[in-house]
Amino acid sequence: MQRVLIGLASLLLLFSAVTGASWAAPKELVLGCNFILSGPAATLGIATQRGAEHAAEVINSTGFKVQGEQYVLKLEYFDSKYLPAEGMSNLEKMLNHGIRYIFTLSSGVSVPLVERTNMAKMLQLTDGSGADHLTSPKYPLSFRVTPNNETAYAVYPWLAKKYPQIKTIANINPTDEAGFTESETRVRCAKNLGMKSIANEMYKRGATDFYPVATKITALKPDMVDFGCTLGRDQALCGKALREVGYKGMFLVNYPDPGAFVEMAGRDAAEGAILSSAITEPQTPKQKELYEFYVKKFGSPVINKFYDSYDPIFMFVEAVKKANSLDPAQIAEALRTVRWDSVYGEMYVGMESLYGIKSCFCRPLPMGIIKNGKPMYLDTVAWPSSEVIAKLVRD
Amino acid sequence: MSAAFGQIILTGVTMGLIYIMVALGLTLVFGVMRVVNFVHGEMVMLAAFSMYYIYGVWHVNFVLALVVSAALVSAVGVFFQRYLYKPLKYDMDSVMICALGASYAIKSASWLAFGPVPRHIPTVFPGMLHFFGAFLSKERAAACVICIALTAGLYLVLHKTKMGKAIRAVEQDSEAAQVLGISIDGVNAMVFVIGCSLAAVAGTFSGILFAVEPEMGSDPLMKCFMIILIGGIGSIPGAIVAGLMLGLIDSFSETLFSGEMAFIIGFALLMFILIVRPKGFFGYDISELTTRRKE
Repeated sequence: MQRVLIGLASLLLLFSAVTGASWAAPKELVLGCNFILSGPAATLGIATQRGAEHAAEVINSTGFKVQGEQYVLKLEYFDSKYLPAEGMSNLEKMLNHGIRYIFTLSSGVSVPLVERTNMAKMLQLTDGSGADHLTSPKYPLSFRVTPNNETAYAVYPWLAKKYPQIKTIANINPTDEAGFTESETRVRCAKNLGMKSIANEMYKRGATDFYPVATKITALKPDMVDFGCTLGRDQALCGKALREVGYKGMFLVNYPDPGAFVEMAGRDAAEGAILSSAITEPQTPKQKELYEFYVKKFGSPVINKFYDSYDPIFMFVEAVKKANSLDPAQIAEALRTVRWDSVYGEMYVGMESLYGIKSCFCRPLPMGIIKNGKPMYLDTVAWPSSEVIAKLVRD
Repeated sequence: MSAAFGQIILTGVTMGLIYIMVALGLTLVFGVMRVVNFVHGEMVMLAAFSMYYIYGVWHVNFVLALVVSAALVSAVGVFFQRYLYKPLKYDMDSVMICALGASYAIKSASWLAFGPVPRHIPTVFPGMLHFFGAFLSKERAAACVICIALTAGLYLVLHKTKMGKAIRAVEQDSEAAQVLGISIDGVNAMVFVIGCSLAAVAGTFSGILFAVEPEMGSDPLMKCFMIILIGGIGSIPGAIVAGLMLGLIDSFSETLFSGEMAFIIGFALLMFILIVRPKGFFGYDISELTTRRKE
């Protein structure tokens, strides 16, 4: 009997050693997610949540180790309602719960938080614009996980090369944080590429009738109208109004649901519109896998924010593993060195030439076009080098 | 240059007529019942959603869908009139607060029921019209024609029918009307039905021209109140004049300056009118209304 018991105990020890099994439950690394889960922009927030959740599921299928201990990633969701005050209140709740890492959506909500997260030494990941109000040497723990106004540095040179007939551009953006930073970036890019921004219209977010702004722009006859960070539905209504008042030029659209742009603007109005940074038809095995997962679980269409929020979660965990620490400052330093094979291609943290610190996730941009009422794949734009960016940012 | 100017005028007139279409029902309710029906914007929104599903998704005939939508929204309106406003004895202050709360409740319920994704009612009138270099979509032209028809129709109903006379009698003096055997409850319910039916048409065209979403009723409601106060409470001619004026101001300001400037100029006009002529162009003085109620 004694021999049997010793034999069993040995087998158990051997099993543990071989499999590395720990009999204690894995610890949780909590990432606070300050997303827009209700209100007008909830479509984006919910798609972002789905992407982050799926990433966490994949990560947690094996878990990860920090300082020899097994961890799983836990996402705790807070609804910012697209209101800075709610976002701030959520941040305070997170701090009270001891959460040290935050993933937040939209610059309007994120920019007001960054001073506080910086003071509290909290790692802040943001999907939003905000330029250097969010990412700068002043905020070493703040990162932008999806290029926003930075896409102009990739898209505008591509446009200049692919569509050399575009000489004049009209920019339309909403009158908010994102709109102002976006318009500034795009106007500067256009100027430094030899294109002329002949109209820089700012409209009130939530406007319904775009005939007045469309009339003004059409009268100037730009070769292209760039909708910048205009809200999706506003892009469609504005595009429709532009066509109705006689505008014949090109559109540059940044709509997370390109099919909805066609539906709302109308097939004829949408024809030929260039879709910036949008996966229209999955091209790579990874894109196809994620596309099929989303459609199977949630139905179509796939909102592009789902893809945008997926890989940053992996990069965050890779940084934790690389730092082998839970300290946000060490994770931030490790994050700057992570290179990840994302759904878009290679993703890394860069933009030091623009912000003075590596703080913005950089990756290739898929471009689409609307043909016969259908969003289709057009091209993939590589992320520009620091030299190209430096040329485009000069005043 | 003249083409752009013509476009601004045409846009202003069409915007004004669309505002009037939304404001008509509210003017009627406000004029007859002296209540601030904040739920009116949500009636527009509910009508747009019902049209989206009945006509856009289930492909029911457009006119039939509009009738069904008007009936549904009228039922909701009468529910509020009977079970929310009537128990408060149509007291202006109490109804305003209750209606505001109800408005938020309906909007929140709509977010849950319909979700945040903007929808679009398919157009019934595709194509464009050209007027001396200016462009107008046929759907906007149809909205304008229907607004003119509704305004004329409402005027005829109020002035040429027995029911209209009863409504005007209640509007002028509800106690005297009651003494003459007119059922105040009946008139109030009818006013709500008419008001909500007008909201249904406004919601349908707002959904065709713009987008269908839970927030779509808020902005037009603000414009409606401006129109009612500038034109005069209870005055349909006043609503027409104020609506067109506001539409032209918005069109010129937004085209020449910005959306914010249009807002500023519109509100500046409202403040000017309230100071210089508190009863608006053609209506009652609000202070007279509340004094009359207290007596």
